[in-house]
Parts: sequence; structure tokens; C-alpha cells
Amino acid sequence: MRKTISLLLAAAMVFSLAACGKKSPNTKTPSPSPGTASPTQGAVPTEPVTLKFANYAILEAGYEDFWNGVKKDFEAKYDNITIEWVTAPYGEIVNQVINMAGGGDKVDILFGEIGWIPTFEDAGLAVPVDTILSKEFLDDFYPAMLEACSINGKPYALPMYVSPFVLYYNKDLFTKAGLDPEKPPKTYDEMLEMAEKLSKLKTADGNKVYAFGQTTASVPISGASLTAMVYNFGGRVLTMDGELDADSEAFKQAFEMVKLLDQKGYNPQNAKLKDLRNLFALGQLAMYYDQSWGYNGASTINPDIKDFTASAAPLAGGKGKGESILQAATLVLMDNGTAQKQALKLFVEYLVSAEVLNDFLAITPAYPARQSMKDLEVVAKSEILKGAKDSLDKTMPSAFVPELNDINLELCTLAQSITVGGKSVDQGIADFKKAAQALLE
Amino acid sequence: MKNKIFSSLLKYIVLAVILAFLLFPIYWVLITSFKSNMEAYRYPPSFFPVAPTLDAYIKLFEVNNDFFVYYKNNFIVSGVTALITTILAIFSGYALSRFRFKWNKWAVALLLSSQIFPVVSRMISLYDLLGDINLINTMEGLILALIADMLPFTVLLMVSFFDAVPNAIEEAAFIDGATRGQILFTIVTPLVKPGMLAVGLYAFLATWDDYLHAATLIQTDTLRTLSAGVALRYLGELSYDWSLINTISIIGTVPMVALFFFFQKYMVKGLVAGAVKG
Amino acid sequence: MSRPLRKKLIPMKRSTGDIIFSSLLLLPALIMTIVFIVVPIVDSVIKSFLDFRIKNIISGQPGEWNNFANYIRLFQSQKLMGAIIATFSFVIFVVILQFIFGMILALILNSNVKFARFIRSIMMTPWVVPTIISALIWMWMFQPQYGLIKYFVGLVSGGEITNFAMLNNPKTALLGIGIAALWKQIPLTTLLLLAGLQNVPDDMLEAATIDGAGKTRRFFDIVLPYLKSVIKIVISMAIIANFKQFPLIWTMTGGGPDNSTTTLAVLSYREAFVSNNLGSGAAVTTIWMLLMIVVILIYNKLLGATDID
Repeated sequence: MRKTISLLLAAAMVFSLAACGKKSPNTKTPSPSPGTASPTQGAVPTEPVTLKFANYAILEAGYEDFWNGVKKDFEAKYDNITIEWVTAPYGEIVNQVINMAGGGDKVDILFGEIGWIPTFEDAGLAVPVDTILSKEFLDDFYPAMLEACSINGKPYALPMYVSPFVLYYNKDLFTKAGLDPEKPPKTYDEMLEMAEKLSKLKTADGNKVYAFGQTTASVPISGASLTAMVYNFGGRVLTMDGELDADSEAFKQAFEMVKLLDQKGYNPQNAKLKDLRNLFALGQLAMYYDQSWGYNGASTINPDIKDFTASAAPLAGGKGKGESILQAATLVLMDNGTAQKQALKLFVEYLVSAEVLNDFLAITPAYPARQSMKDLEVVAKSEILKGAKDSLDKTMPSAFVPELNDINLELCTLAQSITVGGKSVDQGIADFKKAAQALLE
Repeated sequence: MKNKIFSSLLKYIVLAVILAFLLFPIYWVLITSFKSNMEAYRYPPSFFPVAPTLDAYIKLFEVNNDFFVYYKNNFIVSGVTALITTILAIFSGYALSRFRFKWNKWAVALLLSSQIFPVVSRMISLYDLLGDINLINTMEGLILALIADMLPFTVLLMVSFFDAVPNAIEEAAFIDGATRGQILFTIVTPLVKPGMLAVGLYAFLATWDDYLHAATLIQTDTLRTLSAGVALRYLGELSYDWSLINTISIIGTVPMVALFFFFQKYMVKGLVAGAVKG
Repeated sequence: MSRPLRKKLIPMKRSTGDIIFSSLLLLPALIMTIVFIVVPIVDSVIKSFLDFRIKNIISGQPGEWNNFANYIRLFQSQKLMGAIIATFSFVIFVVILQFIFGMILALILNSNVKFARFIRSIMMTPWVVPTIISALIWMWMFQPQYGLIKYFVGLVSGGEITNFAMLNNPKTALLGIGIAALWKQIPLTTLLLLAGLQNVPDDMLEAATIDGAGKTRRFFDIVLPYLKSVIKIVISMAIIANFKQFPLIWTMTGGGPDNSTTTLAVLSYREAFVSNNLGSGAAVTTIWMLLMIVVILIYNKLLGATDID
């Protein structure tokens, strides 16, 4: 038996080595054009071009029409450019695009979270957007927002629309608990006081009402949300140089708050953002943190939530002033040769124009990232966003490290270990530091 | 006597409990699929839909009908895989059962050992490999990978079926001047029809269940199969639509249940042959 | 699974034609197995010794030898040990209970109950439910706010326990997945054991009854030894299947909460495809494969015979 296996292994080894030898690196990828670093000026490609657009949002209820509308209108405008969707759900699209590139098939543009940028930069897929887009176009973006998408001073993605983690709350539940629906909490202490009253409520079916939702399930976005919470308390997870910064009092206070919320039964355990959106839509959750566009998810469950939803700025805790991190839906661009880049430039300029964003922001509450759109009517008039209006000013950039995804997942593990796992906050933080340090090495 | 009644009673109680465990979840999914989302989220739950609705089914057919693309793809992928696997299993099964060369032992060792290794461990390299031969993101590539995945077990299963056929018939035919090929295709193969059915059905059911291959090797939504398509598409990030998911569960399972009940004699025989005769 | 080379068969005459014919028949299956299974596995073992990341795939650069860094990092973190413990707990729990319940059900169905054939058919239903869908079914049953199990637990405990959420508690999450695995796997175990039981010759049982052997003794002295080969196959199939289990766990919990359901399968997938560190993912699968080989060898030793030799 042993002999058999070793022989098989040897034979297989020969096979696989032969297979490795055969493989000429990257023959299938259209060779990138390193020489053409300067942005291609306004030209329209003469040949027909197909742009591959990796976009998870196509699969989400409520967004399909918008994106297909974009495709239709853009293709009508430039009849030799075609948009081809590459779809995968939110949780898989990063792998998908990377796998495709590994197989020699690179997309041109990807729509995704700000936290995904380091992965694409590290993989050598994302190119600085200033190699494709013109300076005049980029100059219109808020410098701070472009900077939030930058690695080593170069912007590796373009923010399409932005938001902090805002506090959504249910005005009806506030009224029922005897609170003023126009006065959401400003600090964690105020929130806890209100939560005590809110948590005594029951829904019409006699179900429990959770007072405050903070996502902790094991997905990177939950880690970003927990990072925002650390920022609320004035702390950081990483320094701007990408070093771990988990020793501060503020970091500890934030996770003590997570534990307290759990002990009091205010926070649904181990919930994903979509679980929170569900509960909020059903009137079982009084307040929760979400990206502003998360509202759209809740409203697909229960369209009536527009009547009771209001937003507020992130809470302040400890010595913090209620800072938050910037969340952005971003466009990551990739280089597939000159003609593709010309088409891509036209497409991005079209997509992030006032005309198109106006349609988009009509269905999704969020803020534009371009200065010329500051007074976009649809945002100014949004009832949903009114309460959180000034919170964008308090967002801080967070450091980008290639391991950001893993660090975010470790933050979720930390939150789970001190809540459902029953560890002490100190122990949880110590374990987190060990795990995170190993990642960053 | 009393004792006997008691033990018989106990027997039926245990039977009922185990059956309830196995079957109640299916009932639960079935009735949830006839509830509206708001009713599905009601707590305490209703054990029979208060206001039965076909909305989720209608929605599946009218709005979310990408589902049927996955469905069709899965029939193609599983069907072709089952067919080719069966043919190859007949070839190899016959060779391993009837000819006794030194390398047979190695071939069996290879097939046995390749069954125990996890699929995840070969996904990375498989991806590379299919990329090299330009079959990544194609149904052909997926089918090839799945056939390879199915072969070890089905070949060994087929061997046990051939073993059960006495070789006197073949010897006689051989003496009459029939070629090896003729013997295999016209004389022996018809005798192992139950085995072919068992192997084919096994391959069909097992590939219908595949998730990892399809999720990794296919990127185009219109080429996805059921498990990957469902997991990737309907577990969206923004929200859960439980009545839709339950409806999908029902529709996704029905053909397998039908297939099983229709062919269960062969399935059972095949599985039992594979396991018991060893 | 079966022993292919039956001693009783007389080998056919060997001629050159036969050698060619037999090799031609064997080749397609062997090539497929080698190319699509053996080569990728060996390749993955090689990658486990390299610093191999996504950028290597994209740029086509080979990985670099990194002095066992993947392994060292894994052994230093608590995750690997946690994953090994989770994997073994899961496998042991599911395999044992699956065997016990499968055996009970098979014995009952083999004992002149009414509608035995009909029950045998319908009880197979969970087995044909695709794994992903079983995961969804049980996620729905365990749903923490409006799930059925929560309701039952509330009823049984007389309203004492109102927040039962099996998959949210690190202590019970693996158990919850185990229940889903049992649900899907008990039917096949039962079916195979039942087939084995039906092969036990009646005259042996009758002889034992006349001897006055009690039911329990008859079962352990006569039935069980007769079933040995079936039991061996059933358990080894169960061990392999549960060792490899991935989609069920990935869909139901994704490895959480607090890594409590991160088995080796989940860990390797996470390292390779979430952290994009393919070398490290390959190192996990290599350790996993080694453990699996050890388990199978011990198992075969325990049961007396090996399949291969």
C-alpha cells in the first residue's frame, strides 16, 4: 500500500511538474499597456468595445432596474460600446473577479465596497484611477474622499457615492416608548437610557423589540461597522501607517459597549446587516447602525418603513466626538489596453454624472462624492437622510492594508467572543491583538 | 403478552419520532412556501398557512426566473456527466473485473485513495488547469471536472456488478470467435443494466448536489447550476426573502425526489451492491 | 468500496491483444482521475510550501519557497488547533449518532412493522435534498427570531427559554450543523444497514431462537457479526463524507460564531479564497489530508482488514 502510494505520488509529481513547465505565464491576458500611463483624452474608440462590469448589485432586489437602465442608456449613447455584466453576489464577487483574472479574463470595472480596494491593489489588478480618468474630472471629487480610496498617495478607486455608518431609528417605536421621535440620541449614554424604555416594548404580535442593532456576524462589512464604532469612541483600529492600534482606552470602551448591549439583550446576537434590516423592517428593532443605502434592503421587506424611518448622526462615546469611517460604493478600474480604457473613461464619466446619480439616489439614500453635486436636489430633499446630514463631516479615513478583510473578520470574532462566547473584554482584545498581529506580519 | 405490546408500542413511538425528525422539516418548508413573507415572519408560527398564497411561486416564475436557467443548466450538466461517467465506468469496471494485470491493483488503489481527498484541496489547481486548456467558465470544463469527481466511486461500483456476472458466457462466446469488443458490448453490458442505471443515477444525484465545482469554475450567471446559483443569487446581501427561498427549496428538490421514487429499485440495488458486496 | 478482484473468478487468457484492450478500457478513467484529481492534489501540496498568493496567479509568477512559513504561521495561531478539534468533534458526533439512529430505524423497519416498504421510500427524501437546500431548510428551522425550533424549545421549557438560537451560540452552533448533517445522512445509513439485515439468513436467527437466545444476545452474537462488512463500509463512508463536509457549514454559519464552526474545510477555504493566501490554504488542506489518511489507516486497523491490500 505504501509503495503504491509513493509510486503514484512520484508519477503524479512528474505529471504536475510537466504541467507547470508547459505553462507560459499569462499568455491569455491581453497585455496591459504600461507605456500609456497618461490618461487617454476624450477620444471615442473606433472599434467596437465590450466593457466587462463586475457588479453584485444587479442581483439585489431594487437595483436591477437602475443598472440595466444605465446600460441601456449608455449603449444608446455610444453605439460601439457594449456593457457586459459579470455578476456574483456581494460575498463572492471579489473571489469571482480574482478567479477570472487568474484564468486570464480581466474585467474592466468593478463596483464594490471601499474595503475591497486593498485586495485588488495587492493582487495587481486595480490601476490608479488617474491613469484612466482626466484630471478635471477627478478634481471635482472631494479630496478627502479620493484620499480615503488611496494607497501610497494614489487613488485606486473612484467613490461613486458615500455615507458614514448612520444611525437609523424607528420613530413609531420612539413614540410608543414615550420618547420624542424628533430627538434621537447623540451619545451612547443617551442611547442606553432610551434603550431601556424601548426594550420594554412588544410588537403587535407580542414579539420582542430589540433596542439597538450593531452587526457582529462574520463578514468583512461587520468588521467595518465595528471599526466605525471604535471611531465613535475616538479610537482607531489601525494607525495610518497600518500598525495595530488596539491598546487605547477608546478601543476597549467600544467593545465594552458591544458587550453591554449584548448583556442587556438590546442587540440581536451575531446578526448580519441584512438580519438587522429585516428586524428593522418588521418593527422589531428600534435603532441600528447601517450604511445609508442599507435602507433600500429594509424597504424591500416592508415598503411601509418610509413612514417610520429616520436617521441620525453616529453616536459619540467616551472621549470621542462621534467620528465614523467613510463608507463608499466605489469603482475599481482595471487596465485592458488603450481602446478599453478610452471606453472605460467615457463610461465612468457617464455613470458618475449628476444625471445618472440623481436617478440612483432617488432609490437609495446616499451622498454624492463630487463637489459640483453638493446641492443635488434629491439628496437635499431626502427625508430619510435629513437627520444624519452633517455626519459626513465627521468621517475619518481608515488605513488600508492588504489584510484589511482579515482584520475586519477578526474584529467580528472579537465581538462574538465577548458576547456569545462569554470571554472578558480584556481577554477578547488580547486574543484579537495576537491574531491581528500574526496577520500583519 | 403485556411485555410484547409494550415493546411493540415503544417500537412505533421510536419510529414515529425518527420519521418526524426526517420528514417534518420538509413539511415545514412546504407550508412556508405558501405563506407570505409577513406571515412567515410571524411568531409564534402558524402550522398551516392562515392565508395560503401562491405569490412566492408566481414571483419565482415571473420575476426571479433566472432560477430556471440554473435548473436547465443543472439538467444538462448532470445528465451529460451521468452519461459519460456511466460509459467510462463500464469500460474501466469491465477491465478491472475481468483482466488481472499487475497494474490493476494500482488502478484500484488510485481510485480508492482519490475518493478520500477533499474537493477544496484541488480547487486552486483545478482552476489553473482548466484555465490552461481554456475550459474555465464553460460547461464542458465543469462537466470534465465532475466526471473526474464521480469516476472513482462509480468505477468501483461497476466492478462489483461485473463481478456478479459469471464469465462462462464470455468464454463460450470467445471460443465461438467473438472479439473482446463484441463480447463487452453485445453480451456482457446488457447483463449489467441494473448496474448502469445505478451508476448513472448516482452520478446524476451526486452532481445535482455539487456546489464547490460550480461555484468556483463558473462565473457567468447564465451558466450556473442550481446549488451554486441558489447560494450565490438568492442569499442576497441586502435582505432575506424566506418565502422565496423556501419555494426554491421545494422546486429544487422535487425532480430529485421524483427521480428517486421512480428509479428507487435500481438506486437501492446499486447502492446496496456497492456497499454490501464489499 | 467493494473488493474488485474476486478470487473465485478465473483470469482470462493473457495475450497482447488483451493487454491493449484492457488498457484502452482503463485509460480514459485513469487519465481523468490523474489529471483532474491527483495532479491538482499534488500541486496543492507543493503550493503549501510556497508563498503563493492571488497576485502569483494573476501575473503568472511561480510562488517562492518560504521555509515552511505557511505551516509555522498556522501552528502558531490558535486557529489550526481549533479547526482540528471542531472537525473531529463534528465527525465523531455525526458518525456515531448517524450509526445509532440508522441502526435503530433499520431494525424497526426489518421487524414486520406495517407499511415498512412505504416508510422506507419516504424516509429517503432528505437524502435526495441537495446539500445547499438542506442548509437553507435548517437555517430556517433554527432562525433566531421566528424559527420553529425556537418555538418548540419555548414550549417544552414552558416559556422559560425564549431566546434559543442554536447557530448563534458558539457552544451549540456545531451541534446545530450536526443535526442538519444527521438529517440528510441517516436515511442512506438506514437503507444500507437494512439491506445488510435482510441478508442475515433466517435459519440462523431461528436456530438461535430455538436455542433460547434472548433478543439482545441474538443481535450481538449473530446479527452484528454478519453485518460487519456493511457496517464497516457505512461508517467509513460517513467518516469520509463528514470529514469533507463544506457547503453545509459554509452556508449555515460561515465558520462562526467566534470560529466555533471553523472546521479544516472552512479554514482552508477561508485562507485560500477569503484571505487570498493560496499557499496557506494549501497548507491547511495538506494537514487535513494527512489527518484523514491517518484516520482511515487507524480505522482499517481497528476493523481488522484493509481495503486495498
